[in-house]
Amino acid sequence: MRCARVLTVTIPVRTLSRVRLVIARCKVDYVGRLHAHLPLAQRLLLIKSDGSVSVHSDDRAYKPLNWMSPPCWLIEDAGVWTVQNKSGEKLVISFDEVLHDSDHELGAEPGLVKDGVEAHLQELLAEHVTTLGQGWSLVRREYPTAIGPVDLMCRDAEGASVAVEIKRRGEIDGVEQLTRYLELLNRDPLLAPVAGVFAAQQIKPQARTLAEDRGIRCVTLDYDSLRGIEPDEYRLF
Amino acid sequence: MKIRVERDGLADAVSWVARSLPSRPSVPVLGGMLLDANENLTISGFDYEVSAQVNVDAMIESTGRTLVSGRLLADITKALPNRPVEITVDGTRVTITCGSSRFSLPTMPVEDYPSLPELPQHAGSVTGDLFSEAVAQVAVAAGRDETLPMLTGVRIEIESDRLTMVATDRFRLAMREFTWEPGESVTDTAVLVPAKTLADSAKTLGGSSNKVDLSLASGDGLLGLSGPTRRNTTRLLDAEFPKYRQLLPSETSASAIIDVTPLAEAIKRVSLVAERGTQVRLEFSDSGLRLTAGGDDEGSAEEELPVEFTGDPLAIAFNPTYLQDGLGALKTDRAQMLFTTSSRPALLKPVGEDGEVTEGYLYLLMPVRLPG
Repeated sequence: MRCARVLTVTIPVRTLSRVRLVIARCKVDYVGRLHAHLPLAQRLLLIKSDGSVSVHSDDRAYKPLNWMSPPCWLIEDAGVWTVQNKSGEKLVISFDEVLHDSDHELGAEPGLVKDGVEAHLQELLAEHVTTLGQGWSLVRREYPTAIGPVDLMCRDAEGASVAVEIKRRGEIDGVEQLTRYLELLNRDPLLAPVAGVFAAQQIKPQARTLAEDRGIRCVTLDYDSLRGIEPDEYRLF
Repeated sequence: MKIRVERDGLADAVSWVARSLPSRPSVPVLGGMLLDANENLTISGFDYEVSAQVNVDAMIESTGRTLVSGRLLADITKALPNRPVEITVDGTRVTITCGSSRFSLPTMPVEDYPSLPELPQHAGSVTGDLFSEAVAQVAVAAGRDETLPMLTGVRIEIESDRLTMVATDRFRLAMREFTWEPGESVTDTAVLVPAKTLADSAKTLGGSSNKVDLSLASGDGLLGLSGPTRRNTTRLLDAEFPKYRQLLPSETSASAIIDVTPLAEAIKRVSLVAERGTQVRLEFSDSGLRLTAGGDDEGSAEEELPVEFTGDPLAIAFNPTYLQDGLGALKTDRAQMLFTTSSRPALLKPVGEDGEVTEGYLYLLMPVRLPG
C-alpha cells in the first residue's frame, strides 16, 4: 500500500538552502512563449534553493522534461503548484497523488574536480620545460602572485622570465587569467619583462586570436608524448 | 578617389586577396582591404602573418586610398553583373556602381592600417606550372598537428640552381627536387614555410607559364612569392625540421611497377569496408597484386591487379588515405613502389612514358602494422 497524501495547503516558508524532492503523479503545463503539456504520470520534481523547479522522468541522465529557471516563484495551492517567472511564464503542476516529499541540505558545492589531467600536465610540463623552447629552465611551479599562483614560471634561453598558464582546453577565460597575471608580474622590476605562454591540449581559435593579439604565445601540448607514451603505430621517426 | 575597372578582373583580384584575410581579425582594420588607386589599382590584405597584394588595370580618374571590409567587398564584387565597375570615395563612404546596382559602404581609417612588408631580396625564379605542381606534391605530406609545429611546414632548401622541397608528418614524407633560376646574390639556405599558406599561394600564383619569383629574408623570417600581378609574403616557421635524409632507404629488396589509376580506384573500392580508413593490405607476388581490406566483423573486400613485380613475395599494409595521397601526388600514369620489409617504409616514385623512373620526386610512406 502506498503512503500517499495530497497537498492541501501552502507549505510553510522553508529555509532557502535546502533542496526539495517530490515524487508525485502529476500533470504539467507550461504557459508562456510556447505551450507544452505533460500528461498525468509519475515524475520526480526538484525544487532547488534558488527557486528553480524541474520535472524529471525515469529517462537517462538527461535534462528535465520541463523546468523553470530562476528567478521564479513557487505558489503552492491545494493540489496545484504554479511556478512563475518575471515575464509571466508559468509552469503549472497539478497533483493527483504525492508519493514522496522530503528536503535535504546539500551544503556548499566543492565544484567539479576534473580528472586531474590539468594538474598532471603542469607536473609533466615542469619536468619537461624544454618542450616550450630549447634552453628553458623552470623557476618554480605555482609561482605566487597577489591574485593567485601562475602555473609555471620559467626562464627562456636568454634568461628572460616567462609565465606559463596550463589548461586542458584553452579558452578565452584562460587567456584573460594569464593576462591578469602578466599585468601584475610585469610590475615587478626584478622580473619584468615577463612574457606569456598559453599552453593547452587544445586551443580554441578565439582564444588563440586573443592570446596572439596580446603577444602571448600559444603552445599545443601532447599529453601522451609528455607522459612518454609512444603510440604503437609505425612511424618514420 | 574615383576609378573605373572591369568587373571580372576586380572580382578575381578581390576574392584572391580575401582568401588571406583573417577570419577573426583581432583589430577591425585587419579585416579590411586596402584599395590604392595610383597608376593602376592595387588591392592589399595583411594580417601580420600573410600579406597579399594584387595589381588590377583600371582607369584612374582621381587617385586615392581607401580601406573597406574585405569580406563584404568580395561578396559584392562576386555578385555584380558583368559591366564596368565604378568606385568612388566620398568622405567616409565608398560607392560602388555597376550597371544599375549601387552599393555604399563605410570606410575604415586608412592611417590605422599597418604597412605591408616589402618583398625581401630576390632569391630566384621558377615557372608557375612547375612551382605549383611541386608545392602540391610536397604539401600533401605536411602535418596538421599543432603540437608539432615543425611538421606543419614545407622545408625549402636552396643549393645554387637546385631547389628542394620536403614535408613530413611522421607517417609519410614527400620530397621534390628541381632546377630553378637562382638570383644573382642568393646564398645556399633552407627555410620552413607554413604548408597551408604556401599551398594556397602556389595554387593561385602559379598556373599558365608565368614566372614565380621567390624572395627571401631568412633573417627577418619572411618569404615573398610574386607572379606578374600578384604578390604574397608569409612569415617563416621558426622551428627545426627533422633530419630527414637519413630516413630515405639506401637499398630496397623488392620493386613493383604499377598503373596508378587502376590501383587508386581499387584502393578506393576495397577501403570502403576498412573501418574509418584503418588499413588496406597489399600482397605482392609474381602472379600479381592482391588488395584486401576489412575483416570478418565489418565485412571484407579484395581485388586483384596485374603488376610487374621483382623480389620476394611481400605482404604490407598501408593507411589507404596516405597511400592515395601519394599515388595522386605522383602525377604520372605509372608508379614504382620500392619495399624492404613489411615494417619498413616504402617508396613511391613516378614512372614516365618511357617506362623509366622519373627522378626528382619521391613519396616515402610508413606501413601500418599487419594484424596478428
